[in-house]
Parts: sequence; structure tokens; C-alpha cells
Amino acid sequence: MKILAEIGGCISFCRQAFDVFLRKGVSRREVFHQIWRVTIQSLPTTAMAGFFVGAIMTVQFAMQVEAYGALGYLGGLSTSATIRQVGPLLIAFMLSGKVGAFTAAELGTMRVTEQIDAIRCLGANPFQELILPRMIAIIVSSFALLTAGLLMSVFGGVLLASLFANINPDEYLRHVPTIVKFPSIATGIFKCLVFAVVLAAICTYKGYTASGGARGVGRAVVDTAVATMVSLVIADWTTSLIAEAVMNVAIAMSGGIG
Amino acid sequence: MIEFEGLIKRFGDRTVLKGLSLKIQTGEIIFILGTSGTGKSVLLKTLVGLLRADGGRVTIDGVDVTHLSEEEYLPIRRRCGMVFQHPALFDSLSIAENVAFGLMKHERKTLEEAMPRVRECLAMVGLGAESNENLETKLPTQVSYGMQKRVSLARTVAVGPNILLFDEPTTGLDPVTTKQINHLIRDLAIKLKTTAVVVSHDMDCALEIADRIVVLDKGEIVEQGTVAEILKSKHPLVIDFLVEAKARGVEA
Repeated sequence: MKILAEIGGCISFCRQAFDVFLRKGVSRREVFHQIWRVTIQSLPTTAMAGFFVGAIMTVQFAMQVEAYGALGYLGGLSTSATIRQVGPLLIAFMLSGKVGAFTAAELGTMRVTEQIDAIRCLGANPFQELILPRMIAIIVSSFALLTAGLLMSVFGGVLLASLFANINPDEYLRHVPTIVKFPSIATGIFKCLVFAVVLAAICTYKGYTASGGARGVGRAVVDTAVATMVSLVIADWTTSLIAEAVMNVAIAMSGGIG
Repeated sequence: MIEFEGLIKRFGDRTVLKGLSLKIQTGEIIFILGTSGTGKSVLLKTLVGLLRADGGRVTIDGVDVTHLSEEEYLPIRRRCGMVFQHPALFDSLSIAENVAFGLMKHERKTLEEAMPRVRECLAMVGLGAESNENLETKLPTQVSYGMQKRVSLARTVAVGPNILLFDEPTTGLDPVTTKQINHLIRDLAIKLKTTAVVVSHDMDCALEIADRIVVLDKGEIVEQGTVAEILKSKHPLVIDFLVEAKARGVEA
């Protein structure tokens, strides 16, 4: 029952945010400030994680494709898997750990120290001033971080392939355009968007509704971490099903493989 | 005049305010006294719509404000400036930006346009530029807690409210700063000709500056009167408060 109430509360919270966005807009200055902060805060870890993911995928795929004498497809397969699956999820986990926890703690502290009440008393709307800029920043930054993470994963893959499988960069990258086509990129972007929305909704909601002093803020941060991890895995499964269904329809209609 | 009529506020199964009725005259400095969890802060927050009443009515100068929307509360919140228990300053904004915040939102002023009023309000709370160099550009975390309380007060009076609400204004302050803040509350209320509602559990403070004291217990008013009347009260809770105040060496 408590979980259902929380889900209902979060949906109602997002609807309220959306309503304020449509009626009042949002401070562009604050949005840019938050985008900059979120991106800078997460860029080093995302890039580093992207590099190692690319390297791991390459090592894993190298073992599989070598048996079939298809090492030339290593780069394409590794990049496609990263774009479609590992990349968006990795970015979401990175953002959840860094930005999600930070946002929940920041808003929670503002709530328990009555800063949010003060904003309301001083004639401003907390959704317009605090929630929407953070939500938008998380969503926009996710795409910037996904791009950075993917570029680093390709770099990691190229480096590992050249060091351990004796595949030069040209050979590694040759089949990337053949395998990584629009459906793969669209799936990655779709997943990235869904994960970012899930994370933005949960961390702002948990922070905004925190209560009970320092202990309450701590609880909000832990709840954010747990709720986002579980929700992201469920969202990954759901979006994979949707993407696959859409792709099957597209393949059936075009008669080709994307 | 502010009037609470049969005000009820519940949090889950717990009823915090149990049909409370109270009239506050214009220009009055009223102290709402009570132990923790008796609903004092809830009463203030209900007045400005930060919490919604579950029953009863709240009126300001005869206008019912009980069930207004968030938008409709904006003019009410401009009239009723609230100083919170915590300074509640915005960490990422400078002192000047904090004080100007209400003016920028309520009156759509730019920071530059708001600066003369910001300086006037800072001076009003004893933080004039002559004795506090570079204060305007500092962040709240770079000044003392007592100063943060004063800045919070300056931010509230900046928008020109005619009702000032103080929620535990001296919590966490040392005795000297507490005394200064108490005098500041009284001086500001008189100078700005405002009604002041102070919520506290500090009897010393109440005896020092209140025109009238209302004692709350478990969501109901158990005693009220002028300072002289309260000093003669036989109610056990009032006696406890007076004994505790005396024990701290403060004679009325």
C-alpha cells in the first residue's frame, strides 16, 4: 500500500511540475546553471566508466566472434550493444549515484530548513524555482553524458582491440556504420530519455517531500537510491520490450535488418 | 484583524489543532506560547496557506483566506511576512540577493532596482553597510547564525508586510543575541506599525515584548491575557512557564 501511495504521490508531483511548466515556464538562467552543474559533476566518472565498459564489451565480444572468424565485426557489435543497452543504463546509474542523491539531499535540506516554505512566502513557486530546473537539467545532461560515455567506450574498445586482439583502429571501426544503424541509436536515445525522466522524477520528489530533520534527509537520500535502482531496472526491461516490438514492426515493414 | 474560528488541523490520526478560536487585533504584538508539538507553528502556517486547515475558518480583515489557491495566497503572503525558525536563507544567493528575493518575485524588480530597499532593510535590522563591510556580497554560510536571523528578518520586512509572523525567532541563539532579536521584533513592529504574531516557548521573551500572551496546550487555548494577567494566572502550565523563567534569573 505504501509503495502504491508513493507511486501515486510521485505521479501527482510530476503532473504538478508539468502544469507549472506549461502555465509559468521556467527560469532559463537557472536551467543552464543546473545543466552545467550536473554535467560537470558527472562527466569524469561517466567518461571513465564509458571507457571501461567499451573495453569490457570488446574483450567479451572478442572471445565470441573470434570462434567464428568474425573479428572484423567486433567494433560494430561492441558499439551497438553499448549504445542500445549498457550505455543508457550506465549513464542512469552514474547519474543516480551522483546527481540523484545530491538533488534529493539538497532539496530535502531545503525542505527541513524551511527554505521551500520561505520561497512560497516570498511570492515564488518552488516548482518553477527549484524542481523544474533540476528535472530539465537531469534530462538534458543525460544526453550529453550518454554521448561522452559512448565516445569513451568506443575509444576504450579501440584501445583494447588493438592491444589484445591485434585489430587496428580502422578495422575495428569499419563495420560500426554497418551494424550501428538508426534503430540502435533510436533505442539508446529512447532509453536514455526514459531513464532520465524516471531519475529526475524520483530524486526531486523524494527530496521535496522529505520531513523530520537530518534523519529525514538521510532517509530521502537512501529511498532515492533504492527507488531509482529498482525503477531503472524495471524501466530497462520495459523499454527493451517496447524497442524490440517497434523494431520488429519496422523490420517487417521494410524487409531489412537495422 | 486576524481571526481563527474553530480551526482544526490533523496530521493523519493526530489532531493538532482542536477547534481553536482566536482574535488578533491590528497593531497588536501577540505571543503564542506553548510546549513543543502543541500546534503553535501549525497555526502560523495555516494563516499563510503553507498548511491547509481541515476545519474552521481563518479571516484577515474580514476576508476568508481558508481555502484560497496557491495563486490567490500570493497577495496574502505579501501582507503577512513570515520569519521562520531556521533563518531559511538561500545558500546559493548572496545576502543582498536573499533580501531582494521577495522584491524580485512580488514586484518584478531587478537586483539593481531592489538594492536601495535592501540596504534600508539591512540597516533596519542593525546590519548597515558602515559596520558590516562587504556583507551584501557574502553568502549566508559566511556570516554568523545570529546575523543570518537578522538577514532573514530584513528579507521579510523588505516587501513591506503589515502583519509579521515569527516562528520561534530566538531558537538556537545565545542569551545576548536573543535579547537583541526580541528588542528588534518590538522595535520593528512599532516602527513599521505592523501586527506581530510571535510563536515561542520562551516566557522571558513573551514577558518582555508582548502586548498579549496566549498559552496553547494540546491544540487548545488554555489561558490568555496581558502580561500582568498572565503573571497572576493559576493555570498549571502557565505557572510552570513562569517558574522556569524565574529559574533562569529573569524577573518579570
